[in-house]
Parts: sequence; C-alpha cells; structure tokens
Amino acid sequence: MVLETAIEILLNGLQQGAIFALLGIGLSVILGTMDFLNLAHGALYLIGGYAGMYFIRETSLSAGYLNSIGVDAIGLGLGFAAAMILVPVFGFIVGLLMERYVAEPFYDRPETDQLLVTFGLALIVQEVIKGMLGGNTFQPTAPTTLFGINVGGPVMLPIIGNYPQWRLYLVGIALFVIGLTYLVIEKTDFGLVVQAGTHDSEMVRMLGIRINRSYSLVFAMGAALAAFAGLIGVSFQTVSPQIGTERALIPAFLVLVVGGAGSVIGAIFGGFVLGITVAGMTVLASQWAQIVLYAVAAGVLLFRPEGLFGSKGVVE
Amino acid sequence: MSLLEVDRIDAYYGQSHILRDLSLEIEDGEVCALLGRNGAGKTTTLRCVAGATPPDVRSGEIRFDGDEVVGRETEDVSISGIGLVPEERRIFPNLTVEENLHLAEVSRNSSNLIGRNLSQVSETRPLREIYDAFPRLDDRQNQMAGTLSGGEQQMLAIARALRQNPRLLMLDEPYEGLAPQIIEDVEDAIRRISEEGTTVLLVEQNAAAAIKIAERCYIVDQGEIVYEGPSEELRADEETRQRYLGV
Repeated sequence: MVLETAIEILLNGLQQGAIFALLGIGLSVILGTMDFLNLAHGALYLIGGYAGMYFIRETSLSAGYLNSIGVDAIGLGLGFAAAMILVPVFGFIVGLLMERYVAEPFYDRPETDQLLVTFGLALIVQEVIKGMLGGNTFQPTAPTTLFGINVGGPVMLPIIGNYPQWRLYLVGIALFVIGLTYLVIEKTDFGLVVQAGTHDSEMVRMLGIRINRSYSLVFAMGAALAAFAGLIGVSFQTVSPQIGTERALIPAFLVLVVGGAGSVIGAIFGGFVLGITVAGMTVLASQWAQIVLYAVAAGVLLFRPEGLFGSKGVVE
Repeated sequence: MSLLEVDRIDAYYGQSHILRDLSLEIEDGEVCALLGRNGAGKTTTLRCVAGATPPDVRSGEIRFDGDEVVGRETEDVSISGIGLVPEERRIFPNLTVEENLHLAEVSRNSSNLIGRNLSQVSETRPLREIYDAFPRLDDRQNQMAGTLSGGEQQMLAIARALRQNPRLLMLDEPYEGLAPQIIEDVEDAIRRISEEGTTVLLVEQNAAAAIKIAERCYIVDQGEIVYEGPSEELRADEETRQRYLGV
C-alpha cells in the first residue's frame, strides 16, 4: 500500500516536475544571461496551452480546417503530433517578438521597470484570451494516437495496476525535450556563450562576441519551452486564463529560487524536486501542497541564497 | 602613426568626471606602462580604449590603427585587435580551461560575424601555441577554471586574451594577489608576448614592477596624465615617483 502510493506520487511528480523544469529553464537562463526578470514567462505557458488546443483542433480528423478540405479522407490524423511541432515554433516566434519589442528596450532600465512592463504584459495576454474566448475552463485533451502509435487508454503497471498510458508517454516526451535542451547548452558554441554569459556577459563581449544575438535566441528558446510546457499541460490538466500565473509563473519562480539563476541543470533539478513535493503533498495533505512549495523555496533561500546550482544570488 | 592614440578624452561615470583631457600614444611593438594610485583613472582609461560602457566618453577621440573606437561596441573593438586581461581576471569559473580558451574561436563563427561592420578580423592563435606557452594550462585542460589557483587563473586570463591574437594586449594589474614566484612567471610571459611582436599596455600601481619590463611610462593622477617618459628616467626621478605614486 505504501509502495503503491510512493510510485503513484513519483509518477505524478515526474509529470508536474517536467512542466516545472521546462518553465524554469527559460526563466532562469534569461535572468542569468540578461539580468532580465520576465514576469510574462507564465503568459507564454498560457499562450502555449491555448495555441495547443487550437492546433490540435484544426489539425485533427473529426473537425477543423484540415477536415474541411478533406484531409481525413486520406487518413492523415495529425492532432497532437502537429501541435507538438507547431506550438514550440509559435512560442519561439512570440519569444523573438517579445525580446525585440518588450525586453530589449528595458535591458538597461531598473529592475522595477522590467517587472512592471512584463507583469503588465502578462495581464494583457490573460485578459485578451479571456475577452476572446471567455473565462471558461476547458477539460484536458489527451491524444489517443501519436505518430500512429496508440497512446490512449489505460496500461497495466506492476504494483499500482491500471494507469493512464498517455501520462507515461508525456513524461518520456518531456524528458526528451529537456535532455535536448541540456545538450544544446552543454555541447554547442551557442550554449558555451550562454553559460559564459550567465557569469559575466561583458567579458564575453570583450572576447569579440556579439552576445545580443545569443540573447534573442535564448529568449526565443525559453519561450518555446514554456509554450511546449503549456501544450503538455493541456493534455492532462484543465485550461483557463488563470493558469499562466497560478500554474506557471509562480512555480517557475520557485524553481528559479531552488535551482539558482542561470543554471539549466539547477532548473531541471529544482523542477523535479518541486514537482515530486507537490505530488506528494497532494496525496498526503492536499491543503498544504502549495504552502510546502513556498517552504522549500524559503528554506533554500535561507541556507543557500544563490540556489543549489546558481553562481550568483537571485536577490542581489 | 602610433598604434593607439588617445586624444584629449573626457570620460564620466554618471555625473562624476573621471578622465580629464587625457592623451596618450602607444607605438607599435613597444611595452608601455600606465602608472598611478588607486582610483587615479587607470582602469577607466583601459575601459575607454576597450570600448566598454560605462564610462561615457563625452569628448575626445581614441584611434586604434587609425580607426575611431569611441562609440563602437566593445565586441567590435575587441575583434579589431585589442585584447584585455582585466582586473580580477574575470575568467569564466563555470567553464573548463579549454572552454574558456575556445570562446575566442567562437567569436570567429560566421553566425557571430555576419552583418557586423568589421574592417579586419585576424585569425585566432592556434590552441597548441597557447598550451606550449602555458604548460600548466595544458595539464588542466578539462578542469573547471574556478578551481584553478590564483596564478593559474591569471595565466588563463592572459592566454584567453592571446588566443584572440590581438595586436595590442592590455593588462590591468596582472600581479595583484600573486606570490613572488608566480609574479616572475607572469613577467616572463609578458616579455615573451612582447618579443613575438605584440604591443603591450601594462597598468600598474607598483612602479618598480612596471619599470622592470616597460620601456616607457605614463603616470595618471586624478584623471590627468602628469608624467610621460622612458622607464630609465622615471627610475632615477625619485621626486616624481614620491609625489604621484607614493614610493
């Protein structure tokens, strides 16, 4: 019985943790390299969620644009698979625009200005979505097939018995994306510049590197990951205009505090620690789940203000 | 034409007027020292030459190899041939020795160069040459730079600048906090760099250390150049050293 609960907590924690990690990576690296605190990061998750629902609908078999031009007749049911490509691409483009027109003009401004403009943007996105689509809560839309593989329905697991099959695929897909991001940061010249930039961006420039170019790319990549997290969220959680702040921005900040600014590995670690913590608390004492998240973050702040993997303090 | 001409610059940090009508010239191939007390404006001068902001240069000109520096981005100035070994070294502690040295190579990637208005971009100096010159770094290629000793970090900072193959190498208090034995190693390294034809601008508080390797010295005091002359002359001129450097 205990083992059963533990495994269930672990599986739920991995799902939640993967989303936290995807969100935290972007927020953390953007803060680390550009000293820019992006309170609109949660809005990217929100955009990813709604864009995901849209793309799933418009590219699926039984309804939408492709259906209306007869694509289902040739048996091309894309749905979630298409969204997995389109949502990050969309997020990437939104990130590029956001960096160019919102973030960049504020790089040299005081932090309070950055916080105000990005928080304002987050509210605008939330209200525009509410205005266009209403404040309805949408039910999760998990795919049943993906690239021709059956991913729906329950699967028989040892010890805990029946478990929604999609939840396992979801963890695998998220881990794959996180791993890919880690490789990009660790193994490419772009990643090297980003890592050096999180520590001392002026010195990177003094070696002849135009770091602004990496900034745009970092911002766009962070946005793409956040949007992807939003799509993953759509597949097993409800969607409403508030999720950008409640389920994305706040957890991403706590991940940042735990993992440390500028550290990809810190964001991954922090994401999974908090994800498993919240999953555990939800089972054991659900009314305390959110509070415990803050307690973990506060504990890290007390004993290691720079975060577990960070090179400089979040509060400086 | 001198390699570097700083022509009557006035530089500010916010409202504070730091450099006043400061001029200096560095000839191609020489080792020149810029001396002065703490806070005299030495580092500010180097930052102006490197195109870094702040400070804000409000009047005057800085020409490197005939091209104006003021108003250009610091990465463009750097890649045109000015290497800096900054105060406090500023190596990247979270990268390995090899990765620190690889960044100069990254700066030559076409994705970094494309669309920038650069008149000349030199080839980087081969990694092998760097490791031959600094065998201690060769032994520690894959070690995190943050775990190196102070002397090794200084060597890495110099090696990183040299990897860019600069025509002018500027060193900001390279002996600070180093043991006497290590200081000799750094001096040897600077001599070797000079013999290979790189022009060197050395910033120092310690006149004796600078006079040992520089041919010519400037002294800056309260943001103004107050002395210029050959090292031999400054060595003999106790009064000037006493007045501006306190030694």
